[in-house]
Amino acid sequence: MYRKQVRRRRAVLALLIVGSFALLTLTYGQGSNGVQRGVSTIFSPIQSVADQALKPARDLVNWFDETFDARGRNSQLHSELEATRREAVEGQAAIAENADLRKLLSLDRSGAIPAGYEEVTARVIARSPSLWFADVTIDAGSNDGVEVDDPVVNGDGLVGRVSAVTGGTAQVTLITDQSSAVSAKVVPPGVQGVLRPNVGDPEDLILDFIDSSKLVGQGQTIVTAGWRSSEIASLFPPNLPIGEITKASILDQEAIQQVHVRPFADLRNLDRIQVLTGGWRG
Amino acid sequence: MILTPNILARLVAIVVLAVVLQLSFFSRVALFHVSPDVLPALVVCLGLLGGSMTGAVSGFWVGFLLDCLLVQPLGGGSLVLLAVGYGAGLFRERFEIHSPLVPPLLCMAGTLLAELGFGAVQLMLGIDSSVSLLVVRDILVKSAFAFFLGWALYIGLKRVLRPALVEEPRRRRRPPTVLGA
Repeated sequence: MYRKQVRRRRAVLALLIVGSFALLTLTYGQGSNGVQRGVSTIFSPIQSVADQALKPARDLVNWFDETFDARGRNSQLHSELEATRREAVEGQAAIAENADLRKLLSLDRSGAIPAGYEEVTARVIARSPSLWFADVTIDAGSNDGVEVDDPVVNGDGLVGRVSAVTGGTAQVTLITDQSSAVSAKVVPPGVQGVLRPNVGDPEDLILDFIDSSKLVGQGQTIVTAGWRSSEIASLFPPNLPIGEITKASILDQEAIQQVHVRPFADLRNLDRIQVLTGGWRG
Repeated sequence: MILTPNILARLVAIVVLAVVLQLSFFSRVALFHVSPDVLPALVVCLGLLGGSMTGAVSGFWVGFLLDCLLVQPLGGGSLVLLAVGYGAGLFRERFEIHSPLVPPLLCMAGTLLAELGFGAVQLMLGIDSSVSLLVVRDILVKSAFAFFLGWALYIGLKRVLRPALVEEPRRRRRPPTVLGA
């Protein structure tokens, strides 16, 4: 009797392990599949209700974290504020000049979001618990016009791109996800590179493959490069703000610079975001 | 664990509730810049209460549901969590749990192993970017959170699943009175 029980137990365990490997093999490298779409459709209303019901509790816990954080950053922010005020004045002058130039060039654009894109506003309703995936689920999906690979922004800058879509929800892979790579450029010099995450540190991105003959420095802004050739194009439109350079160093044995970038968007505390639908694609 | 339809329904409800809570609450709060992960602790507690089979099966389904809702490759989460649940169940079958500190300590160890397991699965699938040392700090802090979460979870689950548990002999609070002694 006992032996039979042990054999049955081992069989179930082996079945579960084989099942896991089979699922991994069948679904790796694909987007969403039918099972995931079905489960998401069933669970999205539950998640939406849970998201709203738990918001006060979340805010309370986050308040403690932010209070501890704020005490340490207060003096640093004061000095940054002074510098930012100066830059804001210069920026406003530059914006006015820019607007005049745009009018002259007959470009019907305003702000960072290029023409041809429709903005779909959505709320984050779930987030991945794993350190290895940086995904969030939003409450807008294909019914709202959201498609896979649509860029996602918030008020501060680029957040990520849509990686999977169901009727009422969409999965957004953040720029800090290990699978993410964004072609980006440093302004003002305009040198380009590929922005990759530093897994585990959501406040640090690494801009690789920069030509070391053009030096870049701390405080410079990184925006999307948004390149486009005859057949293929970047997923992101040009000039979406991403972050600012915190450290730039030339690697010893290679003729490239490695640049550390802090994203403008607070990717740990996302709430409302915008999906840029439509636009041009490769 | 004695599995009846009623207990099975409770287990399903616990798994669903835990995954929804993880995604909508725990993953979206941060203490010391780290979000707690309640799921490995849950699987460890179920393994400790129900044995290796309950631990492995619940670990598999928790991982499956999580991968479905996060639209990740299916199977990775299941593989890691079923191993953690099976290990916890095996511990319960081999050793007596005398101290109330054992379940939270095992939840801590289970979370540490699960996070390392998730990392191992990612490396196996070919992670294509640099990994910050902060990952180590995050894993350790998550494990510390799991100690406290596991404590509460174990007590709560023990109450919810009490009808299915094999009765432990109750300790007498007072020694029996011996007349005429």
